[in-house]
Amino acid sequence: MSAPMPFWRAAGMTYITYSNICANLVRNCLKEPHKTEILNREKVHFAVSTWKDGKAEKPVIRSDVVED
Amino acid sequence: MAMAALRREGRRFAPLLTPRPIAAVRSPSLLPEEEVPFGARSISTQIVRNRMKSVKNIQKITKAMKMVAASKLRAIQTKAENSRGLWQPFIALLGDTPSIDVKKNVIVTVSSDKGLCGGINSTSVKVSKGLHKLNSGPDKEPPKYVIVGDKAKVQLVRDSRKDIHLAITELPKIPVNYTQVSVLADDIIKNVEFDALKIVFNKFHSVVSFLPTVSTVLSPEVVEREVESGSSKLGELDSYEIEGGSTRGETLQNLAEFQFSCVLFNAVLENACSEMGARMSAMDSSSRNAGEVLDRLTLTYNRTRQASITTELTEIISGASALEG
Repeated sequence: MSAPMPFWRAAGMTYITYSNICANLVRNCLKEPHKTEILNREKVHFAVSTWKDGKAEKPVIRSDVVED
Repeated sequence: MAMAALRREGRRFAPLLTPRPIAAVRSPSLLPEEEVPFGARSISTQIVRNRMKSVKNIQKITKAMKMVAASKLRAIQTKAENSRGLWQPFIALLGDTPSIDVKKNVIVTVSSDKGLCGGINSTSVKVSKGLHKLNSGPDKEPPKYVIVGDKAKVQLVRDSRKDIHLAITELPKIPVNYTQVSVLADDIIKNVEFDALKIVFNKFHSVVSFLPTVSTVLSPEVVEREVESGSSKLGELDSYEIEGGSTRGETLQNLAEFQFSCVLFNAVLENACSEMGARMSAMDSSSRNAGEVLDRLTLTYNRTRQASITTELTEIISGASALEG
């Protein structure tokens, strides 16, 4: 790319990560009853496994949900 | 010894001696004694009663599952319909190019983690396999699969296990939200090289109908190439003014990434919605089916019961009248 890269892309982020961080900042600016409600809603949980030559590798679980 | 030989002889002659050979075959002399206890007049209804009980329980379960699916559907349907507003601007801006011819194709198959929801998972698998065939050629890399959900994985492992690149599960464990799907989209973009991503999912149409749909997301380089050639709708991109210091290439890259996460978000929601709809109708028909089976069983059971009662009554009455006379 010829033009100077934005600082977040230079840090190895994609636009999605960048926009998520921005969105999270905005969410943190909410007032109290709404803030906890919305921060509780936006949770991440899934398991990814990469496949090589027809074999699944051990799934990596990406989660920020507290297991009960 | 002699007794045993005699008994054997007797058994051999029995069909010849009795006037009705078929009845003789069924007679207790041939069958072991313990199958029909001595003096039993009516057939035991125990088995039918047990069967009726189990069918009734199955019906209860399917009815409950239908109710659960219906209430979940209502919540997720509004979400899915609202999320359509996310990708529509992208179509307006970049157009939809499902038939684009590129080297590296990646097929993202969206399916559910749970079964018992009719044919929605096999439909999306079928469409994905069709796309795979369509996009493989001598001068191209074989398309890769990125699978969301357990059920499509199970089906694709059978014959396309070489082409699977990523498999994502446990997505519907918590209610679907944008953050979750965007992190997932980020993972896919970082781990998979692509020229075009084809996302296969079931678009929710109504409770009983859903359309297998393909959304295409192009990589920034391909978009750039298309803009240069000016063949499709992408040629009009030059008429837009780009604000800020970023170049068109950067803007396009950002747009492509954001488009993918939006389209994937919509796809996951639509698929979850179709899953609920399909489960609802599947459970509805299976509880109706259980009802029919139950009706038939009840009829047989009652008929048998009535028959044995009638026999007993006849015996009592005829016995009494024999004593009187």
